[in-house]
Amino acid sequence: MSAHQQGTELDLSWISKIQVNKPAVLRRAEQIQARRPVKKEWQAAWLLKAVTCIDLTTLSGDDTASNIQRLCYKAKYPIREDLLKALNMHDKGITTAAVCVYPARVCDAVKALKAAGCDIPVASVATGFPAGQTHLKTRLEEIRLAVEDGATEIDVVINRTLVLTGQWKALYDEIRQFRKACGEAHLKTILATGELGSLTNVYKASMIAMMAGSDFIKTSTGKETVNATFPVAIVMLRAIRDFFWKTGNKVGFKPAGGIRSAKDSLVWLSLIKEELGDEWMKPELFRIGASTLLADIERQIYHHVTGRYAAYHDLPMS
Amino acid sequence: MRTGVVGLILPPTFPFLDMMWRICPALAVGCTVVVLVPPATPTPLLLAQLAGELAPFPGILNVISGPDSLGPVLAAQPGVQKVAFCGATEEGRALRRTLAGWGPELGLALAAESLLLLTEVADVDSAVEGIVDAAWSDRSPGGLRLLIQEAVWDETMRRLQERMGRLRCGRGLDGAVDMGARGAAARDLAQRYVREAQSQGAQVFQAGSVPSDSPFFPPTLVSDLPPASPCAQAEVPWPLVVASPFRTVKEALAVANGTPRGGSASVWSERLGQALELAYGLQVGTVWINAHGLRDPAVPTGGCKESGSSWHGGQDGLYEYLRPSGTPAWIPYLSKTLNYDAFGLALPSTLPAGPETGPAPPYGLFVGGRFQAPGARSSRPIRDSQGSLHGYVAEGGAKDIRGAVEAAHQAAPGWMSQSPAARAALLWALAAALQRREPNLVSRLERHGVELKVAKVEVELSVKRLRAWGARVQAQGCALQVAELRGPVLQLREPLGVLAIVCPDEWPLLAFVSLLAPALVHGNTVVLVPSGACPIPALEVCQEMATLLPAGLVNVVTGDQDHLTRCLALHQDIQALWYFGSAQGSQFVEWASAGNLKLVWVNRGCPRAWDQEAEGAGPELGRRAARTKALWLPMGD
Repeated sequence: MSAHQQGTELDLSWISKIQVNKPAVLRRAEQIQARRPVKKEWQAAWLLKAVTCIDLTTLSGDDTASNIQRLCYKAKYPIREDLLKALNMHDKGITTAAVCVYPARVCDAVKALKAAGCDIPVASVATGFPAGQTHLKTRLEEIRLAVEDGATEIDVVINRTLVLTGQWKALYDEIRQFRKACGEAHLKTILATGELGSLTNVYKASMIAMMAGSDFIKTSTGKETVNATFPVAIVMLRAIRDFFWKTGNKVGFKPAGGIRSAKDSLVWLSLIKEELGDEWMKPELFRIGASTLLADIERQIYHHVTGRYAAYHDLPMS
Repeated sequence: MRTGVVGLILPPTFPFLDMMWRICPALAVGCTVVVLVPPATPTPLLLAQLAGELAPFPGILNVISGPDSLGPVLAAQPGVQKVAFCGATEEGRALRRTLAGWGPELGLALAAESLLLLTEVADVDSAVEGIVDAAWSDRSPGGLRLLIQEAVWDETMRRLQERMGRLRCGRGLDGAVDMGARGAAARDLAQRYVREAQSQGAQVFQAGSVPSDSPFFPPTLVSDLPPASPCAQAEVPWPLVVASPFRTVKEALAVANGTPRGGSASVWSERLGQALELAYGLQVGTVWINAHGLRDPAVPTGGCKESGSSWHGGQDGLYEYLRPSGTPAWIPYLSKTLNYDAFGLALPSTLPAGPETGPAPPYGLFVGGRFQAPGARSSRPIRDSQGSLHGYVAEGGAKDIRGAVEAAHQAAPGWMSQSPAARAALLWALAAALQRREPNLVSRLERHGVELKVAKVEVELSVKRLRAWGARVQAQGCALQVAELRGPVLQLREPLGVLAIVCPDEWPLLAFVSLLAPALVHGNTVVLVPSGACPIPALEVCQEMATLLPAGLVNVVTGDQDHLTRCLALHQDIQALWYFGSAQGSQFVEWASAGNLKLVWVNRGCPRAWDQEAEGAGPELGRRAARTKALWLPMGD
């Protein structure tokens, strides 16, 4: 993984004058979905690119070692071998970008990946995921324990209370502390945009998170009523671009929750390409948090290779 | 009732949707349409094919492919009642001149340029997307004038240039492409503009992935163009954006309104009060707030000033193809011998009258709220029906017209900002004053040969009409429901500005009041030329207006009707001219209105029954006295 983004000093003037006009952003979101379609062999290539950007996720109450092991195996072999051979991509090391689990299951994930002989990072959610309404002390402790167990990426949730009450300095300080607790691990800051109230708050929270040293900003936990939508993504991508213009630091973007179809993943990739450019279209700067998406992508690739539509049981389960 | 046969003249590269928007309302109200399209464009052929499929009703839609010169030929055909022209400003002007006197009503939709006003409290990224929609997409009708508040100039320029780099040009039918091409003519026009702008010292930025062969032209951003250069005053061609800075909202309005064109504009500001102030202050036909280019068939779309006066969509679009029931069809009243350069130029000299009977101090001109002596310092005698002298009125000339129009413009802002209720109150006061003057007015009318009974009716109707018009105009605007938009669209009726009226000779007092009342009550200020034979009742009314109405609201100039008509018709700062005089005068007025494309309403020399409700106080007067503005307010946070 690349080196950390160091963040900057808090500068509230970067967010004081910002206004986001929602109807205009909605219009842009609609336009993006229609304007850049990708077809045929280019579509297959983009789908493989999307696969390499997936953070294969399982965040349920009933996770045990067995389904974690299955997940990790699927992360190592996301697409069936013969399909990759048909595309001549079987020796390119196509795996998903990471595996994302709850802190208590990090040990199982690390063990399973080692057994499979795979060096994909294990990402752990932390800081009172998904609501974040626990004491700061326990939240920091969670991060430390997850890192000790072997997680090399941490997905933290911000404190929405601070955003809704406008306490930007306190938010900055908290995320700085998360950054320190992570140590060498990568920090992904989940903004939980569905609970922030307005797109202007989304922009401000994104800026604060980046100033405090996040390596990635993530749209949502996947547990809110509204998760990753294109309007929210456009606002966050604009914030990433503005931060890059101001400081030269590149921060990554991760949409999570509600991305289920291969077509969606293509639209996400073209959104990144339109708003940020080609450099952001790689796992170091773009991840998709998904669980069932991989199955749909595999079916699309099956269709591209064989010309037939697969049933779900034709392809290995994750 | 429907107008009849409608001729539609279209420019090259006109979108199919716009063609349908003009043809379908005409067909819907029962008119039949003849469309003249330039040759070698494929889209009208689709139109012709559709027309052919209307088998049960052959002939209701006809398509002719031919050069521009056929336009006047089409309009001159007997039976054509209305000609709608879409295209360039100069051609519209030439058509207006050619069609003077031919009979059909002319509707012009010119100049596709639009305006985008970016304030410092706007969402700049979204505004940049708005600029892309407005200027560099296949939906955009023309070029864009971009006004950016100085505080956000650098930020906007940077984002705009970055965004331009992502645009893709290519064949229009390719779905993954942002903008196509519009033919070699459009490309040459854009190229010429860019070269001239560069020679004036402007910065030109072009970007986007564009195929190198013609006729593709890259998206272009022109900045630092000096405002006084000829480029800055010409229409901006597609796909160019000309950007200029402004400091305050007031300056923005002055710069934005400082062009002869007034089509559509968008205001980008997150502060509601500021956005609405700009929206109401812009002299355009459509204003979008925090959006650009939204359209809907239920919302009237049109322009003002030199963008033409024809509307499509909404009720106004239907009124284009209707006329009041009972009006006879228009027939040509052309007088081929009319010399436009000489009409009304010289004042006929009047010999001094014989021995005067009784003291008759001359009436002055009623300008700026008081009676003044005319510039030429001469008067003309008014004779009553027996031939004896009734009185003297001032001989107004070009200088007096100029003074009157200036006084009207000065009074306009104050009058426009009055509420409809305040205006109604003033009209009621005037009505009461007129009623007090009734015996005086009746005797004046009798001296001119009007029967006592008829004179009484005339005065009574005048009083009634003043009151009626006051009560009629209460609503400022209404909210329309638009299918795909979350948020209201307001349809406002705004005053035209300064309205010039030349009153007819029949019903001297009643016509004067019937024309004055709707004009005033809709917020216009007026310059009137009363009836030539009998101006004295009008001047009596002026004596009341001197005390009741604000100065400059109503200005009355007496004198030779043809000469004053000439001055009014050629004046560039009058927004509309209503002429009720001779047929030759009507033709001259239509011809001369091409100067600033003012709205005209002529009677073609036919008298009008002012005492009938339908003709004297019908809704037609109200429609002509104001113009529509559509204000789009998308909502959401």
